[in-house]
Amino acid sequence: MKEKRAQDPNDPVLPAVEERELVYGGLEAGLGEVFEVPIGPIHPALKEPIRLTFKVRGERIVGVQVRTGFAHRGIEFMGMRQGRNLIQILYLSERICGICSISHPIAFTQAVERAAGIEVPPRAQYIRVIISELERIHSHLLWAGVAAHELGFDTLLHLTWRVREKVLDILEELTGNRINYAIPIFGGVRRDITPDQYPKVREALRYYRGLLNELLDAFLRDPTVEARTRGVGILEPKEAEELCAVGPTARASGLRKDVRQDRPYLAYPDFEVKAITPEDYGLTPMGDVYDKIVVRLLEVGQSIEIIEKALDNMPDGEITSFPKIPALLAHLKKAEGEGLGWHEAPRGEVIHYVRLVSGEESPLVWKVKAPTYSNLMSWYPMFEDQEVADIPIIAACIDPCICCMDRVYLVRDGKEEILTKEELLRLSWEKTRRMAR
Amino acid sequence: MKAEQVLNALKTALGENFRNPELRPRPVGVAKKWTVEEIWAEVPREAIPQAVATLKSLGPLHISIISGHDAGEHIELLYHLAVGFGTEGGEVMVTLRTHVPKNDPTVPSICGILPGAETTEREKIEFLGVDFVGIPRRDHVFLPDDLPVHPWRRDEPEVEKFLHRMVEWEKGHEGKESAGS
Repeated sequence: MKEKRAQDPNDPVLPAVEERELVYGGLEAGLGEVFEVPIGPIHPALKEPIRLTFKVRGERIVGVQVRTGFAHRGIEFMGMRQGRNLIQILYLSERICGICSISHPIAFTQAVERAAGIEVPPRAQYIRVIISELERIHSHLLWAGVAAHELGFDTLLHLTWRVREKVLDILEELTGNRINYAIPIFGGVRRDITPDQYPKVREALRYYRGLLNELLDAFLRDPTVEARTRGVGILEPKEAEELCAVGPTARASGLRKDVRQDRPYLAYPDFEVKAITPEDYGLTPMGDVYDKIVVRLLEVGQSIEIIEKALDNMPDGEITSFPKIPALLAHLKKAEGEGLGWHEAPRGEVIHYVRLVSGEESPLVWKVKAPTYSNLMSWYPMFEDQEVADIPIIAACIDPCICCMDRVYLVRDGKEEILTKEELLRLSWEKTRRMAR
Repeated sequence: MKAEQVLNALKTALGENFRNPELRPRPVGVAKKWTVEEIWAEVPREAIPQAVATLKSLGPLHISIISGHDAGEHIELLYHLAVGFGTEGGEVMVTLRTHVPKNDPTVPSICGILPGAETTEREKIEFLGVDFVGIPRRDHVFLPDDLPVHPWRRDEPEVEKFLHRMVEWEKGHEGKESAGS
């Protein structure tokens, strides 16, 4: 069967027979040619641009290069240099991320409050906690759906996203919006939670509590999901620590690293949050994609508990220490100092640094750190020695806030072949089908 | 881990190089009161790797970000590090401030001690034109490879020109945009 065969144009990934034997045969011996496969800047996982350049030998990945910045909007520059005042910047910070759209304002308001010496009333702190935990529920369910889709398990995607609607409805009820809630303001929050809203939130929490076990079963007891995610995209605890991974990505590797626990902020000490690792589900942490699913789903349960506790113990009183915006702006203009604000977003640690100068409306310095920024480096060990068909799920497993793919260029012998997003997903789905048999 | 412990370790290891240390308590919690302590200090640029290595010897070390800005005569970099995660309230936030002169904008890289710092160091190369000596990869992460300016520098005339061009462009497109949408 050494006869040279014309390559099937509908199957561009697989090399022609002779070449294939060389590539696969050489795998064990460490031989075979290395090809470069640039993926993106439009990417398969989420709808945001990033370019991953893989070095592959046959079906195995031997190296990866990450290039971001295709959607760099210069938000920090806009805040520092274009004459915006802090309240305008607050709304700008909310638009850094569309999914965790309360995480950045929470970190930013804390940084400014530290710099300007503003106190936050207890009730406002509780409201901020409630909204951020509701956001965590919606973000983790969103991710779980995306993960199911990447595996070719669309029934589970539709199930998860249908379930997710309830929390978006509650966020709309409490804040007026499904996303971009505009809740925190310097010195408090913009809207109160009224007594007639409590039962609605509680009812939603009951709904999720009832569904959580079903969801855990659907994801974790499914043999196909397990086959596609166990042992895939492993991040060792040592690597996670050295590469400064954050959020569920680090926790899935067994690191008990959670900002809400390690250096609590706002009202979080009241809830005694404990970082969740797969050990809490009776598993030994392996740091693979399966463990990342475990951690995220367990955190949905944790968020439910935090919100329930917050509703039970909600303090009375003011929701902001500056009810009048002009007074707030005047105070901020006079303020001088620097401050750090942090928050455990659904994806991990968010941190903002702000320095204010008296007499200026804009901050002198504003630096934003989003969780994906820290998790970027953990892709390097995760992709190592994995299969091309596992790229979508590994790329998605850190829940990146940049991504989405249009097509893949396969560069082979200097010729470019184009693999569309559909084809890459098809590869992933075919693998699922093979394994399910 | 206690902030005092971290402060003393840094003082002992760095000696005179550890300047103006400050403990900033941060009261948190409503029903259960708690104080999170932050350490802020100045360290000359050549002592940064030693300071980071000292922090690493105390417990698991995490770098959040390096923030920086153009302070006129020099560039100021702030290393936001967190040491000792894993227990409730057990992490101490340490911010090391260092000044980099504009005529010799180099800082020793800390990637050898803490590989996770690579992305943020590369970002500073692009945005502030600071060079990190010993960084394993120095190609751009965010900005186009051929961009000749460092956008966060305040002495970049090109940035002002670019902003001016953008304002002019927006003026020229105002009518068209509204007609289009």
